[in-house]
Amino acid sequence: MADVLGNFEQAVLLSVLRLGEDAYGRAIFNEVQARLDRDVAAGAVHATLNRLEGKRLLTSTLGPGTEVRAGRPRRYYKLSSPGARALHEARAAVNNLWRGFRGPLKGRV
Amino acid sequence: MTSAMPPRWAEILLHLVLDSKDQATVSGDLLEEFRDSIRPTRGPSAANGWYIRQVIGFVVRSNVVPALLFGGAFVARTAMDWLWPPANFHTRSLISTLVAVSILLVSGFFASWKSGSILAGGLSGLTTTALAAIMSTVSVLALLAIWHDAPTLQAIEDSGGLSEVFFLPLMSIVPGVLFGATGGVAGTAVHWSMRRSS
Repeated sequence: MADVLGNFEQAVLLSVLRLGEDAYGRAIFNEVQARLDRDVAAGAVHATLNRLEGKRLLTSTLGPGTEVRAGRPRRYYKLSSPGARALHEARAAVNNLWRGFRGPLKGRV
Repeated sequence: MTSAMPPRWAEILLHLVLDSKDQATVSGDLLEEFRDSIRPTRGPSAANGWYIRQVIGFVVRSNVVPALLFGGAFVARTAMDWLWPPANFHTRSLISTLVAVSILLVSGFFASWKSGSILAGGLSGLTTTALAAIMSTVSVLALLAIWHDAPTLQAIEDSGGLSEVFFLPLMSIVPGVLFGATGGVAGTAVHWSMRRSS
């Protein structure tokens, strides 16, 4: 079984997946905020990226800097095979929770 | 595009709490967001405020574990003195002092080992003790709300009184910086010797 992912970890991994070749720190930070529809701390995203890389769910490479970054390099992230497996299992777990439920939620939330 | 820079001191703090391999990339990410998005939409002072808040988030996050250990040790010692007062405080004081110093030395070591700067050790000591002071003050107030019977109040008086309980965490901030920096000296030495050998 792959790693069990928390919600924030899933948001970060999905952002990396969605951004594809453009998945570097700032872009992931903005994508996570847009998807979660709230402000998040850059430190939280950075810590999660480091943790996911430590678990080998992500890999990273350095890219060149740009003028707006004062020439500082970008770190690009890519989903690894274990990362893709962990995301797939997280989605399957949620689908499993909802399977067969047909009752209306309207009026209960 | 703007060439504006965030507060210099905040950039220095950010570098101190980051792993040396992340310093350029993470500070570049924040600078890009600051220049491209935050400053044009919110204005200079709100953008500086945004940058400082992000840096504080990094600083707190990097010291939350030693702060929990330090504050937890202080609260545990306080609770023991109140609920199981000893005849002689010497042994407890010795043990709790050694625990506190060890936490500060180790957190200072790792902070400097990561960043490659002695200052990171001092900053780690400062943040650890400041966060622990907040945490222990809140926890001690909670203890007091639970246990305020006559024998406990007498035990509090015998162990140095309430003033000591509230001021000791604040008084530990300056020694905290010194012990953190001491651990930082060793951490910096290891960082640079490892870099040289690799």
